[in-house]
Amino acid sequence: MTWLKLVEGYMPMQMITELAICILVFSIINYSLKRAGMGLPKFWAGIFVWCFVNLFYLKYRIYPPIPFSVRAIYGTVAACGIFMWVSGSQQEWEEFKRPIINVLDAKTGLTKFVRTALLILLPIGLWGFAYNSFLPSFDEPIELRTVHPAPPATTKVHGKTYVLQTAANPFRINPEGKYDQAYSNAHIVSQDMGRLMKDVKNPEDNPWDPNAKGYIKHVREGGEIFFQNCHFCHGDNLNGRGLWAFAFNPIPANFTDAGTIAQLQETFVFWRVAKGGIGLPGEGFPWASVMPPWEQHLTVDEIWKVIMFEYWHTGYYPRTWE
Amino acid sequence: MNGNKSQTGLFEKRMVMNETTTPAEYDRRGLGAWLLSCGLLIGGLGLATTSHAEMAEGFAEGSRPAPPPAEQVEAGKRVYFTKCVWCHGVEGAGDGPGADRLWPRPRNFNAGTFKIRHTASGELPLIDVDLFQTVTHGLPGSAMPSWEGILTEDQRRDVLAFVTTELVKDRSWQDTEFEEFHVLQLDQIQPVAPSVESIKRGSELVKEMKCIECHGVEGRGDGNAFNLKDDWGFSIQPADWHKCWNFRGSRQDAYNVKNIFRTFSTGVSGTPMPSFADNTTVEDRWHIANYVNHLCERDVDVDIAGGDVTDEIATALLAAKPRGIDPLTDKPKVDFVVPSKFVEGELPADEHDERWKLVDRRIVAMGGQITHKPRNFVTRIDDVWVQSLYNETHISFMFRWDDRTNSVQEDSVDWEPYEVNLGDYGIEEQEPGGSKFADDPEHPESIAAKQTAYQVFNDGLAFQFPIKWQELPAPRKPRYFWGDEGYPVDITKWTADGELKAYQGEGWDMDFEDRDDFTEELKMVKAEWKDGRWTVIVTRPLKGDYEEDAYIELGKYIPINFFVWDGHNGDVGRKMAVSAFYYLVLEPPIEKETYIYPTIAAIGLVLVEGWILTRRANRRKGKV
Repeated sequence: MTWLKLVEGYMPMQMITELAICILVFSIINYSLKRAGMGLPKFWAGIFVWCFVNLFYLKYRIYPPIPFSVRAIYGTVAACGIFMWVSGSQQEWEEFKRPIINVLDAKTGLTKFVRTALLILLPIGLWGFAYNSFLPSFDEPIELRTVHPAPPATTKVHGKTYVLQTAANPFRINPEGKYDQAYSNAHIVSQDMGRLMKDVKNPEDNPWDPNAKGYIKHVREGGEIFFQNCHFCHGDNLNGRGLWAFAFNPIPANFTDAGTIAQLQETFVFWRVAKGGIGLPGEGFPWASVMPPWEQHLTVDEIWKVIMFEYWHTGYYPRTWE
Repeated sequence: MNGNKSQTGLFEKRMVMNETTTPAEYDRRGLGAWLLSCGLLIGGLGLATTSHAEMAEGFAEGSRPAPPPAEQVEAGKRVYFTKCVWCHGVEGAGDGPGADRLWPRPRNFNAGTFKIRHTASGELPLIDVDLFQTVTHGLPGSAMPSWEGILTEDQRRDVLAFVTTELVKDRSWQDTEFEEFHVLQLDQIQPVAPSVESIKRGSELVKEMKCIECHGVEGRGDGNAFNLKDDWGFSIQPADWHKCWNFRGSRQDAYNVKNIFRTFSTGVSGTPMPSFADNTTVEDRWHIANYVNHLCERDVDVDIAGGDVTDEIATALLAAKPRGIDPLTDKPKVDFVVPSKFVEGELPADEHDERWKLVDRRIVAMGGQITHKPRNFVTRIDDVWVQSLYNETHISFMFRWDDRTNSVQEDSVDWEPYEVNLGDYGIEEQEPGGSKFADDPEHPESIAAKQTAYQVFNDGLAFQFPIKWQELPAPRKPRYFWGDEGYPVDITKWTADGELKAYQGEGWDMDFEDRDDFTEELKMVKAEWKDGRWTVIVTRPLKGDYEEDAYIELGKYIPINFFVWDGHNGDVGRKMAVSAFYYLVLEPPIEKETYIYPTIAAIGLVLVEGWILTRRANRRKGKV
């Protein structure tokens, strides 16, 4: 029933408008039927309105779904409103409660049947409902993990200490060989759908061009490392949907998401890659992460190159300290 | 020409050529010449005219795709060198930097051999349908992802224009002399609805057609399978029919029988899987497809008794419901809670005990151990099914997992079972090769070269609990990989040589410590490899020594995770597959309160009803 669901974002205004239209349509139908001498019984009209709003509209039409407790509040408010509507005058109130009284008195065969059925079914229903809510349920416990915990000031990798504030990727260089983030940013993949390299014919944009050198050649070297080591979890498109992503929890980071490497300094990524899951502080659940401490597998240069590839391939810039 | 014969002949020819020529030399022309000579020979005998004169049932003449415009090829090149080159290589020879650590291997486009097609055996695929769907939906069970939502439809068509014109080198869709297109009319063919009769007939046909020789009598891919090779000499294994979500041609629609019908009708080019279109009627193909489709794991584990499918088995297969497939992973949804239920008396003695039906089986997803050396990039086991029951004193686990090979170590090894650092004994990680062929002399240690030539170690399975997990502040756990310093784990490890031992782990690189007292308490109830599947049932006491052995308590979330080794894959020590943390929960028997309170509430309601009725009756009397 996906077609039923409201589009997220339009929701509040759309909801109010739709409900207003529904009330209007209902009032018109109700009024015309009354004029025609076939007025709806107040009792059934009340139940219909309540069911429509609470069981149908709020439950299926609203997306994302609202929790049961909130729906219960709305349901109560709707019930109060309906009571006010059906008890507008003494005559209306009498009309509303007539079917209830009829069943209680049970003067005809039908009402007798309904009364007996209700007398039996209500306690059984209540028993089932209570039993279900008493049964223990064992859902997976929710554990909140900090995805980007605070980094340390320095990190020691292969015997050398790196100060995260001042360290820089030695391969992020312009043709003159100087560190130049503006230059590398100009040669990442394009930002539109597909995130493709800007110009396949330009050796400054295409890592696989035979004449590629400097920054873009290091991107290719980083990519080679990525596709020998990282894609198993982080995926061929760096979106965290690799071959084994389904087996692990926490799930691998999605680098194409604007909330991961795009939000981080390159040196933070360097620390995370070098130290891996086991190097996380407690709030990052180091016991559960299968992220390798890459210092066990890669050299410092390889780590810098693979990070540069990740930024190139996703079309993001590392954040800077400025 | 007799279709059946030509099929087998073609296949044999391919295998023969494979041994004598390199794949680059082996191309369409060789095949074409051979077909031609066959045609001449048989034509000379007056038996038939040409090889394609008789089209197999269900096929129709297809149209040749128009050559793509040059701009589209250029646009596709941009896509290819951004996304595809990393595995498929600069020349499209399936030898990109990522290739050697992948299994199945990335496709070598050069020969124009594509696995998943609607076209007849040996023919080029339909670009707009077959190749487009492959790029769109990916090839589940391999590293080829779904590119839908990543590349636009145009970009996907562009890259196909580039691959089919520039990287398919030995053949051409425009070659009117040699290339024909006979297309399976999958949408026009009326399927045979699955039924008890159809499933039973399918189970007989897979024996008659000799499918089970490779796929195994229960279809777990365990037939004469270990040494099968594809056209390039790479190790390849028959599909496990019980894991339809891993079928390369499943098109992200795992339980759709049409995918099986298609693969069976057109074969899997480049592999030993032939097309059965020429020697099987459309109806029989549906029976086989229905049977294979219903073998795929569903909500209940149906014992198919070695493939001798009775009415009863077929009915059970038919009644089982498909498992939910997670759209993000294209694998069965994983539930991280493993329930254990209480049973009276002795715990089950084998897998046939009816009481296993009391508790859901859970799929435990396994990935290669790629955190510490030696990393395991190519695993052959990707899931284990777990069930658990307990009584007053013991808990029983039944593990069942598909493993094509029964591996029991025969040669003695230099290390002790408790040792984990096996690098000194030569158990090392493999450097990535970069080869187009398996038997490349330049890369003798590549995964591709070694894959069927490892020393055989024991298959194995282990699971671990934190010791004294009760004292850990949630969510702290010992590390998933055999614990860490100060956070020891209780490891139970079974190996195929019959050992079942209790160890203590305190780190991924720390040798295990024996827990001999607890080992004596462990009981191996059953360990059997049959028709491509291990069934291992172990029981252990709920409680041992609190300081050393994890206490298993009722109603608590107890962290547990799993490890599995495939001996024929060279898995030993840290080379294995591993799972994430799951939670074992011993569901307590239903307490009395669960019945008492609802009963009190119901009785209360009856009283209220009586009161209302009495009051009403009194009021009416008063009124009257």
